[in-house]
Amino acid sequence: MTSSSVPSVVTQRRILAPGLVTLRFRNPNVAHNTIAGQFVNILPKAGFSDPMLRRPFSVYWTQGDEAEIIIQEHGRGTGILANTREGEILDVLGPLGRPWMFDSADYMTAVLLIGGVGVASMPLLTRKFELDEVPLHTFYGARTSSLIARDHLANVHIATDDGSEGFHGSNVMLLRSYLESGKLESPKIFACGPTGMMRAAQSLAAEFSIPCEVSLETEMACGIGICQGCPVRTEESVFAVTGRRYRLACTDGPSFKAEEIVL
Amino acid sequence: MNTTLNTNGEVKPNLHVKLGNVEFKNPVLVASGTFGYGAEAKQFCDIEGLGGVVTKSVSWKPRMGNSPRRIVETASGMLNSIGLANVGVDTFVKEKLPYLAKFDTKIIANIAASSMEEYRDVLEKIEANAVPNLAGYEINISCPNVKDGGLSFGTNVERTEELTTLLRASTDRLLIIKLTPNVTSVAPFAQACERAGADAISLINTLVGMSIDIYTHEPRLNTVTGGLSGPAIKPIALAQVYQARKACSLPIIGIGGIVSAEDAIEFFIAGATMVQVGTANFVYPDAGVRVAAGLEKYLQQQKIAEVTELVNTLRVKAELKAAGW
Repeated sequence: MTSSSVPSVVTQRRILAPGLVTLRFRNPNVAHNTIAGQFVNILPKAGFSDPMLRRPFSVYWTQGDEAEIIIQEHGRGTGILANTREGEILDVLGPLGRPWMFDSADYMTAVLLIGGVGVASMPLLTRKFELDEVPLHTFYGARTSSLIARDHLANVHIATDDGSEGFHGSNVMLLRSYLESGKLESPKIFACGPTGMMRAAQSLAAEFSIPCEVSLETEMACGIGICQGCPVRTEESVFAVTGRRYRLACTDGPSFKAEEIVL
Repeated sequence: MNTTLNTNGEVKPNLHVKLGNVEFKNPVLVASGTFGYGAEAKQFCDIEGLGGVVTKSVSWKPRMGNSPRRIVETASGMLNSIGLANVGVDTFVKEKLPYLAKFDTKIIANIAASSMEEYRDVLEKIEANAVPNLAGYEINISCPNVKDGGLSFGTNVERTEELTTLLRASTDRLLIIKLTPNVTSVAPFAQACERAGADAISLINTLVGMSIDIYTHEPRLNTVTGGLSGPAIKPIALAQVYQARKACSLPIIGIGGIVSAEDAIEFFIAGATMVQVGTANFVYPDAGVRVAAGLEKYLQQQKIAEVTELVNTLRVKAELKAAGW
């Protein structure tokens, strides 16, 4: 039995902030089978060749037979998708990719490090931790207060670049202060955000010798490992052992152990 | 060929095609580099609904591939510079070939190399480990994205002929030469393959293309240029197939921007015996199966019994033909 892409009716469109939209769509397979950290690959316009490729989105939320994604407009494809209306049909392939590695036995406190639209993969992870009663801290960094997607998160510490809400500065600096004060017992960082933030998370984790996972957003074509278009460079130590210079963001990720990849 | 009836009592069109002495269940293959080695797409595509699978290129040693960025979307298409990332022939014969052997469809092993000897050695290694459904080889002399990837063969008629002659001596299976559009005329290359004893030619590989970030003034692809594929290149591919059809009598496998059955049918009319679906697999992993299903429907509607009846049926006015068109 094969599962190809499925037509999915948009049941709700919400504008979170200028250029930031959530779309909820009916897709029982995605809704019931997605594990936190997985993504879907969606066509901007089915039946049209321009734009041609699907766009990957973390599954933001699931409920009943419906799933939700969060879209930040940054080009034609995302622009078309962000303007999809309720009742229109999306062509959705997924769930794809590997989930967050929340089952690792190397931590007691989950630290969710969110930068901007990197929030997309965090609500399902939060739900998982709440279900498993894992202590949880969320460090959410945004340019400004109005760009924060607040739903489905827990124990949120906000940092804004412009100081409009919470800590004035980066969420990584805020997290550093928590780590230095020893307030987080045996933490593991789950990071998703801009490359700069993830690099900072990488070095912070190394400095404090704590486990860290980063979820990457890269250009992708197929999302299923056939085009080889989304390589992630591996650290020398990993290359030495595995002989693999690159991993694929789509099928080996999108989340990776921070110490194993070069950002 | 047998005539079968479908449930409505209508004649079910025959999609079988023969290439050399190999019979394919339908004329739709998936193109090299767009379907991995089968396992990757299995969850999303009924592999046995395909006429065959052309594997990701395999070279003697594993290749890591090019540094990112490897893909850029363009108008109705995409540029890629993957760089022939592949597992190498040892892993190919140990793992990939036995995996594909489990499916009721044909396998065509695509080979990439940087020297005559490497092409021959890879082919002979696969030949020595052949599985029953291995139909033959597609020789990639047309990858534009690596400096040592065979394009020096594909843009030189003498070397194309020499390589084809060498490989012909190493196998009785299908020998298909995959040609590049990045030459002045494809005709002498098609003729060289025919002289050297190839069973078929496949065309086109990607066109050299480029995309630039106007804010940084940098090329978007790491390798500056890459290979353009997708619907954008279909008209070029059709014209090249037509030119090759006029230039030689070898069977042609048409490739380039095929997304739908209608696209495939244009290639048959232009002179292709089979087609490959490539970039479309990145959007619909079962694109090849969809094309085959659409093809069957078209034949039924048009009351055409055999898909082979479509091949080389382009109607060009006599005076135009006489004038060289």
